[in-house]
Amino acid sequence: MFIDIDCHQIKKYNQNAFGDYFVSKRYPDEARLIAVLSDGLGSGIKANILSCMTATMLLRFVEGDQIPIKDAAEIVMNSLPVCQVRKISYSTFSIIDINDEGHAKIVEEGNPDFIWIRDGEVMKPSYESIPSKNHKNRCMKSYKIKLELGDRLIFCSDGITQCGLGNEKLKLGLRRSGLIDLVLEKLKQDPEISSSELSSYLVKQARNIETDRNPKDDMSALVLYCREPRKSLVFTGPPFNQKNDAQYAQTFIDFKGKKAIAGGTTANLISRELNIPITMDTTISIGKLPSCSYMEGVDLVTEGILTLTQTLEYLENGEWDIDNAAGKLVKFLLDSDCIYFMVGAKLNQAHYNPNLPIEIEIRKNIIKKMKTVLQDKYYKKVSVQYM
Amino acid sequence: MAKVNVKVCLGTTCFVMGSSNLQELIELVPKKYGEDVDVSGSPCLGLCSIDWEFSKAPYVKVNDEVIKEATVEKVLAAIDRELK
Repeated sequence: MFIDIDCHQIKKYNQNAFGDYFVSKRYPDEARLIAVLSDGLGSGIKANILSCMTATMLLRFVEGDQIPIKDAAEIVMNSLPVCQVRKISYSTFSIIDINDEGHAKIVEEGNPDFIWIRDGEVMKPSYESIPSKNHKNRCMKSYKIKLELGDRLIFCSDGITQCGLGNEKLKLGLRRSGLIDLVLEKLKQDPEISSSELSSYLVKQARNIETDRNPKDDMSALVLYCREPRKSLVFTGPPFNQKNDAQYAQTFIDFKGKKAIAGGTTANLISRELNIPITMDTTISIGKLPSCSYMEGVDLVTEGILTLTQTLEYLENGEWDIDNAAGKLVKFLLDSDCIYFMVGAKLNQAHYNPNLPIEIEIRKNIIKKMKTVLQDKYYKKVSVQYM
Repeated sequence: MAKVNVKVCLGTTCFVMGSSNLQELIELVPKKYGEDVDVSGSPCLGLCSIDWEFSKAPYVKVNDEVIKEATVEKVLAAIDRELK
């Protein structure tokens, strides 16, 4: 099972920093995901610092596994200071610690209760209330639940549930019930919607409810969706030992999922070993990248180093040109949940000719950086095999 | 008469060493020679890794003839030779 996670946020009107903070990390070795959403007191820089500190501290605390998540949250709840001006809590938080089998531990303090949806119904999980020993108005809720394929969890900051507060129509704001209606209606229209699209939809809707579309508080919507993973494989570079070409080519073609080849020599190798002809795109490649080729049974065939370098840059900047080969590779990668790279270690010495641009990097380095950005920025599961 | 087959290498080395400019052959050649010559790109001709010490990229193949440090003029001249 794959946990598709994403969070969208907008700032309070007239502020230049986010007061809510979201942080998430995948641990591929343990098949585990931890995410924290925190809402800092007030707004702007102050709230940003408070929520950022709370969220990152909690993530570190929980990932260490030295004490149970409940105890970690309790320690943080008890130690968070009280705002001197407002005499209320410094920041709120929700922590989710989930594994690939769907066993989830969730602790919430101060944020609106999360919404758990299964087959279009809202589930009512039982929880344990843990009041703070030294702060009267603090009480955290601890849940232990088992998610099934197709389940969704929606977490939000109070900016969402309280949006539209004082409007003609919504005197008490959207509230949790209004948010549930929004989510269920959207899921009816689009049952397979990704977490990224759903979270951005919810934030947009909440903003539309606000008077003049000016958010009165920071808004965050965090969505988790349990689904079958979409797998893909990228084969790049010829194997170090040519004797293994046939074996790796077979592994490539037997892979169940989408397949891409990045590299001219690599494409020739697969074509030769499996006897699949290559046809090159007849349109002239515009700009800096060679155009794609086509092979039956392979979803995307591009040039190697230049395209990979450009793809990495696109992924890092979060913006891409959809028309060129690198843009297509970005789309290929982002449409997947689990990405496998088969990276050939053979060097082409012609690439080290000093006349060539210095941008020509070593393939292993590019893939290493790509793995990091896909994991940290796009929450993908990435594994790399060198051959 | 058999068609003349022109393959422009669009591998990494050739592309940065100038074959990106040779792509104009894809439009130019059919205009000049019509159906007699077939031009296409190739993901990699595999020549730079053999000939790297000399590093004569970009490479173009006109039938079996390898053109080193190819330019549009050199390729057109080679096509003319083949057609003679």
